[in-house]
Amino acid sequence: MTNYAIEMRGITKTFGSVVANKDVNLNVKEGEILALLGENGSGKTTLMNMLSGIYQPDCGEILMGGKPVSIHSPEDSKKLGVGMVHQHFKLVDVFTAADNIWLGKEDGGQLLQKNRFAEIGEMCQKFGFDIDPTKKVHNMAVSEKQTLEIIKVLYYGAKIIILDEPTAVLTVQETKKLFDVLRQMKADGHAVIIITHKLNEVLEISDRVAILRKGEYITTVETAETSEQELTELMVGRKIDLNIDRPEVEKSLPLLEIRNLQIQNDEGAIAIDKVNFYIRGGEILGVAGIAGCGQKELCEAIAGLRPIIDGQMIHKGDNIVGLTPKEIIAKGISMSFIPEDRLGMGLAPSLSITDNMILKNYGDTKGILVDRKIGRRDAVEVIENLNVITPSSETPVRRLSGGNVQKILLGREIKAAPNVLVTAYPVRGLDINSSYAIYDIINKQKQAGVGVLFVGEDLDVMMALCDKIMVLCHGELMGIVHAHKVTKEQLGLMMTGALNLTNRYEDKPAGIAKDTLFAQHIEDDGKVIK
Amino acid sequence: MKKQSSFHMVKREGVKWQQIAMSYLIAIVVAIALGGVLLSVQNVNPFDYYKDMFSLGVVGNKFAYKQVEAFIKLFTPLLLTSVALSLAFKMRFWNIGGEGQFIIGALGAGSVAYLLGETMPTAVVLLLMALVGAVLGGLYGAVVAILKVKHGTNETLLTLMMNYLALYLLKFFGETSGDWNFFLAKDSNRPLFATFPDNAKMITLPTPFGSFSLNLSLVIVVLLCVGVWWYLKYTKQGYEISVVGDSPNSAKYAGMKVSKIVIRTIFLSAALIGLAGAFYASSAGTLSTSMTNDVGWTGIIVAWLAKLNTIGIIVTSLLITVLQHGCSVASSSYATVDANFADLLQGMILFSVLTADFFTRFKLVRNSKQEVAK
Repeated sequence: MTNYAIEMRGITKTFGSVVANKDVNLNVKEGEILALLGENGSGKTTLMNMLSGIYQPDCGEILMGGKPVSIHSPEDSKKLGVGMVHQHFKLVDVFTAADNIWLGKEDGGQLLQKNRFAEIGEMCQKFGFDIDPTKKVHNMAVSEKQTLEIIKVLYYGAKIIILDEPTAVLTVQETKKLFDVLRQMKADGHAVIIITHKLNEVLEISDRVAILRKGEYITTVETAETSEQELTELMVGRKIDLNIDRPEVEKSLPLLEIRNLQIQNDEGAIAIDKVNFYIRGGEILGVAGIAGCGQKELCEAIAGLRPIIDGQMIHKGDNIVGLTPKEIIAKGISMSFIPEDRLGMGLAPSLSITDNMILKNYGDTKGILVDRKIGRRDAVEVIENLNVITPSSETPVRRLSGGNVQKILLGREIKAAPNVLVTAYPVRGLDINSSYAIYDIINKQKQAGVGVLFVGEDLDVMMALCDKIMVLCHGELMGIVHAHKVTKEQLGLMMTGALNLTNRYEDKPAGIAKDTLFAQHIEDDGKVIK
Repeated sequence: MKKQSSFHMVKREGVKWQQIAMSYLIAIVVAIALGGVLLSVQNVNPFDYYKDMFSLGVVGNKFAYKQVEAFIKLFTPLLLTSVALSLAFKMRFWNIGGEGQFIIGALGAGSVAYLLGETMPTAVVLLLMALVGAVLGGLYGAVVAILKVKHGTNETLLTLMMNYLALYLLKFFGETSGDWNFFLAKDSNRPLFATFPDNAKMITLPTPFGSFSLNLSLVIVVLLCVGVWWYLKYTKQGYEISVVGDSPNSAKYAGMKVSKIVIRTIFLSAALIGLAGAFYASSAGTLSTSMTNDVGWTGIIVAWLAKLNTIGIIVTSLLITVLQHGCSVASSSYATVDANFADLLQGMILFSVLTADFFTRFKLVRNSKQEVAK
């Protein structure tokens, strides 16, 4: 009989009338990486939360090293050697890396020992992590925070490490690094459970894959003997087409033109530097770049949430620089930005779906009262059209799973019938089915003649979905290329600044349309608008 | 190795409201029983004492209606202040300046009463007092809101400090003799707040219950509570408050003018507290340095115990007033029991209710030997 590091047998967990997990069996050996696969809301996180002591199973048993254990709290699970790296980091921002680790140390005593930096630094080196123990968490990049979380659980002596969607917020390079770490942990005899939606990652890193569907345990397969197609079918329960459509649509005149745009970030540094681009109706323009190279600032500037330093933004020939967010919404420009924590901007998490539906248009009705009838009707429509899984339209948004939250956000933006749709990371952290549903929605908008600016992470997706891709590097434009002509390598070079295509054609600088409405605008006015 | 504690906390799930109500009730009973032990030690029969306390001095009292009127005078300011504070708290604006806003409202109302009370008819004077009290209280709060949205100052510190500004301003007027000081009684040698002219005293409505007359301010305050509930639930401005409280970024994103909403809401919150001050002053018929009766503080407890729910606030502030008034009634008929016992009992009850509130959300689990050993 194999001795599993951890084994879950017949686990069932219900919340009220919702069955989150039903008769789930799961096991991991020492020195093995198990991928846990399932769509959003299929109960992966719930299952893992039972291992980390946040929830208790209604029935079923958990065995460790062959002996049954009961885990009542995160403390219990820590003592048993289970460490979980949550999707939302649990770190104290104003503390240093070392202090964050020291904080939860069992025998650390009441004092911060002087040698803590050295001790933790040493331990980082031992595991091959590159992190400065004296660095404050709020100065860290997302990937550093995640590394810190992993160091933390290792430092506490975890034998079983659970990672909940660790790659959702990482770039390709960072993901590579993370996988190296995971492989080393595996070599050291740790059992690793990784939750992820990205099938290519599952195939790359895991030894076996356990699949959940709608809370039910489907099967566990050997990674070496499976394929992306098979995993998708097991996960979704039916055959699914993995190709992304790029419908041909007749393009219209430029809807949004950006010239010489300069924007500062919160720290006052230049985030976007003299960028030119334009979006036509019926076109998807992708924005590629390493995380934090001005995407957020660009989106905020277009939505009127961030003042610009210099440059012009012309919408259908009208200047939109200096307009309030409300006036820009009224022009038909919609912006939806899915931040790393998913809820930061665009939704009010404690309010109901209905109340979130009316966020942008509650002021349009007459009188002093909020008309929730319209909101409720919209909510019901979005829930139906986009297959949102929710008990009702009055459920607070934060109770929904990630994919459903994003569908609500995008659904509302599309309801408003925009002519320019700016959408950043719309599939961040989404499973394959929801992601394809979102691509579908975006393609429908394109076919309806909407100009779409798609800020994305996954280059494969962008190359399949977008018509053109513009690449940013440290806020500078590296060029705008046709998505079907470019290679992934080229994009990678552009993203790192090694290749600059902005001046490839002398007669046609990148990002300036031939049939621009911009010039017409200047002529009409007789002067250049500031 | 550090000593292992034998218990740890675990989050509770799926608690029904009946269970919550029951645990609050048990908490109150426990606190009262503890108080009973303390009373017995002082050779007082706890049953008699509590009988006096919970009957609020109404039973077997020739002047029972006086007690009811006194009760209302305690209840009205607390209710209005708590409801007003909940407006600010809903927006995550930590207004702990209720005391100061209350005093400024009362000072404003007092000024109107002293200066104009004798020359104008009652209705006009009262209306003017309410208006001036509310506007001054509102401005006193809005200043902090403006500083917060324009310069990012901390509202907790500012509202706290402004409590003392208001209190010492009131003391200054109450203790400085001089011809200019219209707040003081003319016929007294030592400085003393004058009594309001009759025109500035709150109207009381006659009722069928003999000499008992209903203080008009209670009626208005209850109507205001219903108004606030409706405002928060159904109006656009109420909707804006909940969005700003929940996610200021999303509010900005939706095109809301967050600064304007914050300033407007804090003005409203502080104005209602100022109004409570004005009502209290006109019901009492004078000013005093102890007139706030700590409503600015107690109101915070009420608002949070009721989880900012307007209906919950009405119930909670009623219960707290029963406690306060009952304690003072009971202590007045037991000379041997120190008046501070009332405060002690209130403290014990509040503490045990808060403990019960904790236990409705968490439970303690004993660490089993086997797990500790691991």
